[in-house]
Amino acid sequence: MSVAVDLTTTPVRPAGGFFGRHGRAFGLTLLIAILGFLSLYPMAMLFYGSLHSTPPGMAGVFNLDGYATLASGENLSALVNTVAISLIKTILSVALAVLLAWIVARTDTPGRGVLEILITLPFFIPPILTATAWAMLGNAQVGTINLVWKAITGLETPLVDVFSYGGVIWHMMQYSTPFIFLLVVDAFRAMDPSLEEASRMSGASRWQTFWRVTFALMLPVTTSAFILSFIRGMESFESAVFFGTPVGINVITTQIYNSITQKGTPDYQSSTALGFAAMALMFLLLVLQSRLLGGRSFTTVTGKGYAPNVTRLGRLRWVTFAVCAAFFALTVVLPVGQLLLSSFFQFFGFYQLDMLTLQHYRDVWENDEFWHAFGNTMLLGVLGATATMALGAIVAYVTTRTTWRGRRLIDILAWLPWMMPGMVLGIGFLWGFATLPHSIPIYGTLWALLLAYVALGTPVAVRVTSGAYAQIAKDIEECSRVHGAGWWQTLGRILIALAWPAFAVGWVLIFFGIMRELSASILLYVPATEVMSVVMLKMWVGGKPEEVSVLGLIMLVLVLVFRWVQLRFIAKRISTL
Amino acid sequence: MLRRTVLGGLAASTAIVRSAAAQDADWQKLVDAARKEGKVVIYTASIGSPFHKVVFKAFEAKYGIKIELLEARASEVRERVRVEQSAGRFLGDLHHNGSTTTWLMTQDGNFQPHGPLPNLKNIEPPYEASEMSIPAEVISYCLMVNKNMVKPGDEPKAWKDILDPKWAGKILSDDYRALGGGAVFFMVMYDSFGKEFHEKLAAQKPVFSRDIANSERRVARGEFPLYIPFSLQDFNNLKGLPVKPIVPAEGRPYVRFDLSMLKNAPHPNATRLFMNFYLEPEQQLVFGNAGYNPVVKGVVEKTSEEIRPHLATKAMGTTTPSKQDAMLALAKEIYK
Repeated sequence: MSVAVDLTTTPVRPAGGFFGRHGRAFGLTLLIAILGFLSLYPMAMLFYGSLHSTPPGMAGVFNLDGYATLASGENLSALVNTVAISLIKTILSVALAVLLAWIVARTDTPGRGVLEILITLPFFIPPILTATAWAMLGNAQVGTINLVWKAITGLETPLVDVFSYGGVIWHMMQYSTPFIFLLVVDAFRAMDPSLEEASRMSGASRWQTFWRVTFALMLPVTTSAFILSFIRGMESFESAVFFGTPVGINVITTQIYNSITQKGTPDYQSSTALGFAAMALMFLLLVLQSRLLGGRSFTTVTGKGYAPNVTRLGRLRWVTFAVCAAFFALTVVLPVGQLLLSSFFQFFGFYQLDMLTLQHYRDVWENDEFWHAFGNTMLLGVLGATATMALGAIVAYVTTRTTWRGRRLIDILAWLPWMMPGMVLGIGFLWGFATLPHSIPIYGTLWALLLAYVALGTPVAVRVTSGAYAQIAKDIEECSRVHGAGWWQTLGRILIALAWPAFAVGWVLIFFGIMRELSASILLYVPATEVMSVVMLKMWVGGKPEEVSVLGLIMLVLVLVFRWVQLRFIAKRISTL
Repeated sequence: MLRRTVLGGLAASTAIVRSAAAQDADWQKLVDAARKEGKVVIYTASIGSPFHKVVFKAFEAKYGIKIELLEARASEVRERVRVEQSAGRFLGDLHHNGSTTTWLMTQDGNFQPHGPLPNLKNIEPPYEASEMSIPAEVISYCLMVNKNMVKPGDEPKAWKDILDPKWAGKILSDDYRALGGGAVFFMVMYDSFGKEFHEKLAAQKPVFSRDIANSERRVARGEFPLYIPFSLQDFNNLKGLPVKPIVPAEGRPYVRFDLSMLKNAPHPNATRLFMNFYLEPEQQLVFGNAGYNPVVKGVVEKTSEEIRPHLATKAMGTTTPSKQDAMLALAKEIYK
């Protein structure tokens, strides 16, 4: 069976309205200017840093010393480790996430509404907390899992050791699986089931239908998620530094961290050169993705009415339920249970009755610094996520639904921030914003943080929306134009209206990304603009992991509320499609 | 003769009294100017310390001058200062960081002289002020053992005891190949016992982690029986857990934190007033009771009985900033 139904390949040529000939040129120029400032400008500062013996503002000479260090055995080994770890964890995560998304969106598995919220929870927990929880559960010496294992079997060899390659990959998977799940689940839900029905009626088995129709139609969304997750894996820091560094497993980000923070004089030239090397690798991946998907259509939401349905699994639905429950138990119940428990004891991991306390909740409640940072973070989160999704929607439209000149440049500009490891990009923002003319009041204000967050979130916003747009037939859009709607009307009332479940997911991803972002925040905040991630770092370094647990739980409650509201709206929306 | 001596003495005393009075008046002018400035912006590498906040609040209460704090890791603070100053943005007043970073930043010209401060006379040797910086407080390093895993008779009494094969694979440590406590430990042990000490320690296969607060908890939970180098001031966070700090017989490596006035500080008078305030015995006692070694005279004696025996030990040595990069390279070579 062919992969897709090619409904139309005619490019959209909007006319009149806001984007007339001159309006379009102005709009494109403005869009390029905004994206250039957000991504190209900090990147240019970093590129200068990689070619200059000293950072911007200091006397030095231009040379290639930074790039020469890439060839060192240490860096090459880190590069191989990074690619291997990220590739393995992405393949495993995509397989698991696609399975979970299919179970939740396309089967009659019991309790799938609740499961959908629960299995996405790990993504929103600060990584340092789950790392601590897993270090307690899975260390070879006294980890709870190994103690239980030894007691049951009488063996001395531990069952698991999280301080290993396996530990690094497992910890990363807890973030990438729900991340990919969030990106693909709505695409599964919004797919026209008549295609699957046609497959079944033509004699294909359930598995053949899943693999050759459902999964194949999900290719753009899945490969987008794969690429996003693979790149994020290459930039991942916490898992490697926590579980890898103690046993000599180094990756690109730990090498960069060492260059910046562990030497007498920070070596910005090497670290930025390493960042650009990682970026070049990721760029190759994007080219590959574009080649893989180029010229194929994946339209599943058309102008024709359809009623989404679910596959009846019979008794098998309890097996699929068990898969979801096991994922939830392993990635949420175990670590979050430990967080919750620890937040009520004087010390994380010491569960003695005489250490029961509510002091950590009181300390957080009475912490003025936290409330100030919480207010700033909420403001930045709401404004940042909304602005990022608005920008992402426009960029995705221009790059996927038009043939306008300059759209490839826009696509690349929007992608750039995602391809540079966060801790390097943070330095780019610092250098870029601090050296702006003083008459542009960005450095030292909330604007600096907001602009950095928008830049960091735009690639996700673009991928989420373009994945959703790719599923919407162009005939609906043309129909809108034929009936006299302008560019903005069509974008808002057709595309965004149809793709809005994906918008909601993107908004939540970006909002919580802002809550967690530290690399740029720590370099851009000033005393009046402190944010939650900085407060959490202070608590952690100050030896207060229990208070960080309380903050982690507050974030989880927020996630539950957001997701519940979002899914309620999605359910309502789907029923009206 | 006697009359001349008496008159001479009187004249001298009067001059001293006048001079002291003039100094008092000058200082009062500085206090008034500081109050008008209204705040001090501190860039510090001491992240999340509750003890520093006690001193900041005491200053705010005494003078009505607000303290604003920017906390980040040592290299991040340094880069913030560097890039801000090179862009002509002078937002910070006071820099609080380890002596190595302070030394490097002094070479870069990031500071300005703090001028005379009355409390400089309180400073206790071997700590001393320079034209650009004053000592703030001292982090002292020792060993930490898990009391449930190490019997009193088996506890290491000297630094060389950790080379005993019985500790092989049982030592959790801050990384010697990175700037921080591990690097201080490496340099002081190298200076005291030579390369051989480190070669033998490397054979013990210590496990490195840079997450200090979490490493201490791992030892408390029983993953490892021994942690080095343990910062004495962290003991306060671990009270109630089965751990014990031990200062070995040879003494304790230490690292000094410094205060330096940033170039073109927007609130110079308030900054000088705060630097002087920091050197008052009352404020240093806050740090002493927290487990930091105070830098002024007569404070260790007043610290709590629990912490005093650890503080009143021999200062074994500290880092030499100019040797830091070579030492980090050597550590990398020995601990592969």
